[in-house]
Amino acid sequence: MELYTGVIHPLVLVVSALLALAGIATLVWAPAHRALRVLVPVTYVIVAAHTVTVAFLLFTGTDVDLILTLGYVIASVALLALLGIGRLGTPEAAAADPDPHRPVLTAVQVTRVDAAAAVIVAVALAVVAWRVLVILQGAA
Amino acid sequence: MNPVARIALIVAYAVLALAALGRSSYQIATKLSEAPVPYLVSGVSAVLYLVIAIALWRHWAGVALVGTAIELAGVLTVGTLGYVEASWWPDETVWTGYGSAYGWVPLLLPAIALALLLRERRARANDAGPAPAQEGTS
Repeated sequence: MELYTGVIHPLVLVVSALLALAGIATLVWAPAHRALRVLVPVTYVIVAAHTVTVAFLLFTGTDVDLILTLGYVIASVALLALLGIGRLGTPEAAAADPDPHRPVLTAVQVTRVDAAAAVIVAVALAVVAWRVLVILQGAA
Repeated sequence: MNPVARIALIVAYAVLALAALGRSSYQIATKLSEAPVPYLVSGVSAVLYLVIAIALWRHWAGVALVGTAIELAGVLTVGTLGYVEASWWPDETVWTGYGSAYGWVPLLLPAIALALLLRERRARANDAGPAPAQEGTS
């Protein structure tokens, strides 16, 4: 439990904050997209660590609502799919899709979409981590 | 609609759909009898968020417009009823307090989406131009 409250949870919050900052910076200044692209795999790793830690706590006897906690953990993993969603709007991706309404984005628009998605995902990840913390602390 | 704004809206609606679906399916599955109205309202809002996200993605402008209008009406109605008739709501919904538990995103999002969708609709109507006058009616 100390590992979760002392290391994993603060790490998730720090990465969420960095992701939000990088997203806002990219919205303002497109070259900051490089920093955002570095942060995406870091976020994957931290969310994976968060998932493993919570799963470990759940299966080692922490008395919490299993469905609710797992629901939040699954939600945090599902959110990762939205990171870098701008790639779906590149001309190559759009050309492979028969949908005529699929947006085709310019390079700058791809960075803006990635940035907006990063800000939304960052906020959602922080909220999910906070909810998991509340649940786990309630059981402690 | 600007594609960046459109995709940002889709992402925001997808996240809200995920949150509302998770919350409502848990509440409906485990304790529906405790507060049926709030939990069913949360379920309806979850479905609505999902439909709007898909409509925005598939470019179903009419569905998105109607969906966001219903959503805005729902947030305003449930938010107001929460204060006026608090006894009707033994537990919170996604729209309680005008979406305060979700940082008022449930209130802001349909307002922004409606504004963008209506602007797009007006622009499309202007592009189509005025209908040609009909000649020689009977």
